[in-house]
Amino acid sequence: MFEHAFTALDALFDPMRLAALFAGMFVGMVFGMLPGLGGVAAVSILLPFIYYMDAYSGLAMLLGAVSVVYTSDTITSVLIGAPGSPASAPTAIEGHALAKKGQAARALGVGFLASMVGGLTGAAILFVAIPVAGPIVLLLSTPELFMFALVGLFFAASMIGKDLAKGLAAACLGVLLGVVGPAQAAADFRYTFDQVYLLDGFSLTIVALGLFGVAEVISMLAAGGGISHERVKVDHWGEGFRDFWRARWLILRAAVIGVFGGFVPAVGASASTWVAYGHAMRSTKDKSRFGRGEIRGIAASEGANNATVISDLVPTLLFSVPGGPAAAIFLGALFSFGYYPGPRMITQNPDLMFLIVWSVALTSVVGAALCFAITPALARLTRIPFAIIAAPLILIMVIGAYQSTSTMGDIFMLFVLGALGWLMKHGGWPRAPALVGFVLSGPMEQYFWLANQIHGWSWLARPGVLLIGSVIAIPVMLSVVRWLRARRHAAVAAPAPAPASGLAAATENEDIPVATPSRGISLVLAALAALMFSYALLDMFSFNPSSRLMPALAIVPGLPLSLYLLARGVQDYDNDFARDANELRVLVVLVAYAIAVWAIGVSLPTVGLIAWMLLVKARMRLWTGLIYGAAVFVAVRLLFDLLRGDAPVGALIPLS
Amino acid sequence: MHTQKLTATAALVLGSTLVLGGTLGAAAQDGLFAGKTIEVVVPFGEGGATFVSAKFLEPYFEKHLPGNPDLDVVSRPGGGSILGANWFQQNARPDGSTILFTTSSTANPYVLGQKGVEYKLADYRVAYSHPFSAVAYVAPDTGITSAAGIKDSQKPLIYGGIAAAASDLPGLLSFEVLDIDVKAVLGFNGRGPVRLAFEQGELNLDYQFTPVYLTQVVPSVAEGRAVPLWTGGAMDNGVLKARDPIAPELPSVHEVYEELNGKAPSGIEWDAFQGIASVTYAYGLTGYMHPDTPQGVLDAFADAVAAINADPEFQAESLKVTNGARLNAGPDTEAAVKSALAPSAEVKDYLRTLLSEKYGVTF
Repeated sequence: MFEHAFTALDALFDPMRLAALFAGMFVGMVFGMLPGLGGVAAVSILLPFIYYMDAYSGLAMLLGAVSVVYTSDTITSVLIGAPGSPASAPTAIEGHALAKKGQAARALGVGFLASMVGGLTGAAILFVAIPVAGPIVLLLSTPELFMFALVGLFFAASMIGKDLAKGLAAACLGVLLGVVGPAQAAADFRYTFDQVYLLDGFSLTIVALGLFGVAEVISMLAAGGGISHERVKVDHWGEGFRDFWRARWLILRAAVIGVFGGFVPAVGASASTWVAYGHAMRSTKDKSRFGRGEIRGIAASEGANNATVISDLVPTLLFSVPGGPAAAIFLGALFSFGYYPGPRMITQNPDLMFLIVWSVALTSVVGAALCFAITPALARLTRIPFAIIAAPLILIMVIGAYQSTSTMGDIFMLFVLGALGWLMKHGGWPRAPALVGFVLSGPMEQYFWLANQIHGWSWLARPGVLLIGSVIAIPVMLSVVRWLRARRHAAVAAPAPAPASGLAAATENEDIPVATPSRGISLVLAALAALMFSYALLDMFSFNPSSRLMPALAIVPGLPLSLYLLARGVQDYDNDFARDANELRVLVVLVAYAIAVWAIGVSLPTVGLIAWMLLVKARMRLWTGLIYGAAVFVAVRLLFDLLRGDAPVGALIPLS
Repeated sequence: MHTQKLTATAALVLGSTLVLGGTLGAAAQDGLFAGKTIEVVVPFGEGGATFVSAKFLEPYFEKHLPGNPDLDVVSRPGGGSILGANWFQQNARPDGSTILFTTSSTANPYVLGQKGVEYKLADYRVAYSHPFSAVAYVAPDTGITSAAGIKDSQKPLIYGGIAAAASDLPGLLSFEVLDIDVKAVLGFNGRGPVRLAFEQGELNLDYQFTPVYLTQVVPSVAEGRAVPLWTGGAMDNGVLKARDPIAPELPSVHEVYEELNGKAPSGIEWDAFQGIASVTYAYGLTGYMHPDTPQGVLDAFADAVAAINADPEFQAESLKVTNGARLNAGPDTEAAVKSALAPSAEVKDYLRTLLSEKYGVTF
């Protein structure tokens, strides 16, 4: 085994192959930083080039890209607050809060190091586990996959926040978004409004970009000024290293969670990131900082997502079943080079297996180092008025969204969900439960249905199911015991200071002002949600009975909750729309942009949008604005051509 | 053109770290497609079987088409392949420089008249086609040792699939033809997960397409963890009854029926199976062109296909991947594909009734 490992290392250290690996890593870093463009985009842009190389170089290039994406997207998540990839949403929440407090260096340092550990753990698991991982993957049948999704949802419940009604309603809304499209159980297409675009349901990238990215950009575009109100210093990494060392065991545990996430096809990165995040929350005594800049949240989610993307390769290599979308493209590349992954691959191509391990390990270390090196320069960007960065950023999000199907639907959906995300942000609805509900509703429904079809209810007694179920049951039982004991204690002794007041004290010390939700927007959102749930309820009866379960799971709690919030909203109503009028204007401009792209193609509206952002919002001088705007426009057109070969063409006036 | 664009942008993106070598600038000879780019639209994701097959064929068409055009394989997934095919309907150029390369997942919704289908598949010209056969196999613990024993299973047969109206349709119809009692569990998200569930013992009856069968199932057969049963069959004088060259040791569905019933299959079940199965298997991967494409272009493709089939390099490679399957092209192929795409009203009715009553598909 070691002899093959050294042969492979020797093969990788061929200058041409190293160059390919680092070229791939470079592309992966850039795409990781661009919000909405992640591993899939990086790998698909590299795909045409690998056919000009030998097999090892080509595969090394793809691996370089895949294994660095979740390292470099930490930068975007922390500095901008828009998740670089969907699985980085926890990093965006915690890291950006820290950046706003001027602690970007700390957040980034921990993020990079945790990513590196995650990557190395993934590589080590590949190295050690490839010969023995087969049986583990085979143990994970449909019932176990269902349980894994359930665990993800359970841990994500920790994101719900203080306003229970709004948090639960947001989660229900996410589940409802997740059931749009083909039902798993029967041949129903749910809530598609006869639009072919919706036949596949919503794309995860667009939902994540819309809910988080667009809303964030709107706020900053309207506020003007830089991202951070304080000077973002990222030259002192010391504190980050100390935090990393303090959280080392947490990161390692998160990486192991991530590895298991990778073994599970389809549930993958998003679920394991939330499980790791939830684990971080449960293992932290003072939970008050979660959601407002908790470094342990970043440590856990970055450790997990990097490990997942690498252990995604385990099912890919052992069973030809890709663990995630980027792994699917990698599988295609393996086929093209004449490698057919399967049970015999370890014995037939041991060198190739170890080449993969080395490529991943090398990229994890070099990628993290490179991220440290470039971050000070990037952090300086945060001092620039945001509107100047917003111009390319919002267009990159459009391009990222356009990757899903290359139809206008992608762009519309981005801004429609962007509007929803903005309403949620200002109405005080947490967006993370919505995202998790969306991500997990599909696999939960699918595996529940398959498990029940294949095994009847007997699957509940499977050892794997019980084992995974204990991950939920044990913490719940512990809390119940603790609660009972506390009650008995409270009854006997004098009322000690309740934990709740300690939490309140921590909140008061918090240096970020907690924005109070807008009452007007709360009402509008509650009304909108009530309308959506009501319509969903009516339409639900047209489905086959087996397709009704998951929508019902969203509607039955969602409708009463949104009606309750509606009643509460009417009671508390106050015409405070004026407070957010600036942002509302930006939102209207963006929606108008989407409609204009549909009508007359991408070029003219993009020129208009850039001009508006630079000259009106950023107040750049005419000539600098023109030159910068032209550069942005050219870069955007180039990206459109490079990634898809064609930009959207107008429906009314056929320009592109 | 496209190559130059790629080269320029590659230089921008990759900097100087990547050397592309001299392969891109090869001088094109005079010919029909000299200096042109042919866009091959695959309505599925990158890395999927159809995309990989398109990439596999790409260099051979570049080599053997007159003028050595550049082929550019573009993935346009969405709507279970309907979005990509609709895009082709609106954007295909009538000179053969846009090709829709797809499978029965695009053909079945068209044949069944499902909602959202805007493409007129039966009007398109058929440039070339590649067989995509499938092999059925069972788990040994069913006690079944060969196709003839399919009705004597010791356990209820459970088949896993994706969706009744898509690529699972021919498999499900073969169970109707052979009149076997199979519980079909639909809702998996790919044939890969289905095979995994088979290996895990959750399912015990499965169909896999050629490359996967050869690389994943054949090892299982050797280790005694799977028993191969039959193939969909190959065309012989317009009847799907011949043995499939990918696995000549296995009978076709037609043969299995004969063995079980002592007569050749007939009737509406067989007609439906043959129509759907020939588009799925015998003409599994088909390159379609705009209806107004000149005959000269189609002839050029037919010549190129003959040259590719004779190319020793292609023969060697295809032996590895598909056990030596050959491409089809020309008037006979086109006629066969078109007739399969236009089934009789009775067959259509039968399919729609079966799908809506047994599998809850709404039209």
